[in-house]
Amino acid sequence: MNLEIMRQKIIRRERRVRLLAVTLILAFTLTVLLVIPSMLSSFLIAFVITFIFKPIVNLLERRGLNRTTAVLIPFLFSIILVAALSSAFLPRLSEQMTTLQTEIPVYVSNVTELTKKNSVKLNNAVSQYYKINVFEEATAWLQRSSTQFVSNVPNILSTALSTLILAPFFAFFMLKDGRTFIHQLLSVVPNNLFELSLNLQFQINQQLGGFVRARILESALVGIIVWVGLLLLGFPYALFLAIFAGVTNIIPYIGPVIGAAPAIIIALGNQNSGFVIAVLAAIYILAQVLDMLLVIPLVVAKIVDLHPVTVVLAIIIGGQVMGILGMIISIPVASIIKLTFIEFYHHVVDFRG
Amino acid sequence: MNFLWENIFKRFEKEQSILSVLSKNILFKNLTKKELRFIEKIVHIRKYRAREVIFRQNENGVGMYIIVKGKVDISVIDDVLMERAQEKDVVITRLEAGDFFGELSLVEDSGRRSATSVAAEDTVLIGFFKPDLLEILERSPTTGVKVVFRLAEVLGRRLKETTDKITQLKKEIRLVSELQGFHK
Repeated sequence: MNLEIMRQKIIRRERRVRLLAVTLILAFTLTVLLVIPSMLSSFLIAFVITFIFKPIVNLLERRGLNRTTAVLIPFLFSIILVAALSSAFLPRLSEQMTTLQTEIPVYVSNVTELTKKNSVKLNNAVSQYYKINVFEEATAWLQRSSTQFVSNVPNILSTALSTLILAPFFAFFMLKDGRTFIHQLLSVVPNNLFELSLNLQFQINQQLGGFVRARILESALVGIIVWVGLLLLGFPYALFLAIFAGVTNIIPYIGPVIGAAPAIIIALGNQNSGFVIAVLAAIYILAQVLDMLLVIPLVVAKIVDLHPVTVVLAIIIGGQVMGILGMIISIPVASIIKLTFIEFYHHVVDFRG
Repeated sequence: MNFLWENIFKRFEKEQSILSVLSKNILFKNLTKKELRFIEKIVHIRKYRAREVIFRQNENGVGMYIIVKGKVDISVIDDVLMERAQEKDVVITRLEAGDFFGELSLVEDSGRRSATSVAAEDTVLIGFFKPDLLEILERSPTTGVKVVFRLAEVLGRRLKETTDKITQLKKEIRLVSELQGFHK
């Protein structure tokens, strides 16, 4: 009997040590990601690249190529594609951006002018309910944000550059050695939690992959609709605005509004007619409606099984803790937490019933 | 210098044994050397101390285990003993090196373990789970299909054994009831 007790003690101690080791590895990785600047964003983009390339890499592997070659091919192909697209679109895009940069002050002053014109009307209307001067507030906000935007451009560019170098680098190794890393991490997991961890890891991976692919599909759809719409309307900076709308679309709820804002400001600044502004609004709304009608119910809802209230709460918490990045990752993080909780519950409590 | 060589040979021996255990298992029979090496990288090697639980009855199971070294006791909860408030497992079989168990979980959707398995001595197992099978099917469908076909064969054989057992039990019940009628 004593021997049995001793054995169980050793087994329990070994499990505790292994659990501690896994927790420390995960905590260390998370700390590195959160503490070192641009590490988290590089890692997240690498994750996105990994999930996009994974089906291609697997396909190439099925054709008989070894893993490293199968991983190298989509990377080389992307470099060529990016280079070709850059040479084709970059001059136009940079031209549009330079013009936009020089014209931003003009738009701002035009919008200010517009606000000034209507300020009396607007102030009268608003002051009935709120004690603020709309004109002063709006002008101050507009000037503040436009100055901030211009002065932040170098910072944004340097962060973007380091992310652009780090992300593909991480993605390459995630695709090539990611499985080995997970395999090794799982080998440290204590025996009593092994099957649970393996299954959880697999489910999280499946869910994240589906989620990332669905978000990219949404962004591409929104970007293309906006681009085509703006081109048909003959609106300036169509490509830049479409890319901006596509990228900001990944931010839940406020993303589409941020995405549409530059176009509306430009239209107001150019003193376009009410009809143009209405069509412009219609293009952005159409993109969102198609996204809501097609992609969200058909793709996203099937992948992330979260209650709408949970989604809103997750986004608010994400936004409060980590800003825009927090809002972007809030839904997948919430669904991972839910999945982990359910799996642990089934494993620890439910099976005894 | 000597220790270095020893280590290399030990590693080589260990790899050989995992490969040979895999090649002898019905699920991976007929696989080429290359395919076996691919499977070897996917499966998990787990070590259990004597009397350590591998999985418990009713727990969610996601895969099967092949015994590389050691022995494993398979037991079920005995309802009669439970009713007598003596919650005890009854050992129904002892498996040895080369045997495998839990293969039903590979195809079940959130299947529960039908028995408890405990290492009877210090044991080394190869774990092969549903995510691993899906990975094989995704990365090398030809290999995956071979494994799935063998798995179907194993499950079919188990089904046949169960059907035979039920037929046998039915016969015995009929015989007992006939004997009871004869005595009356």
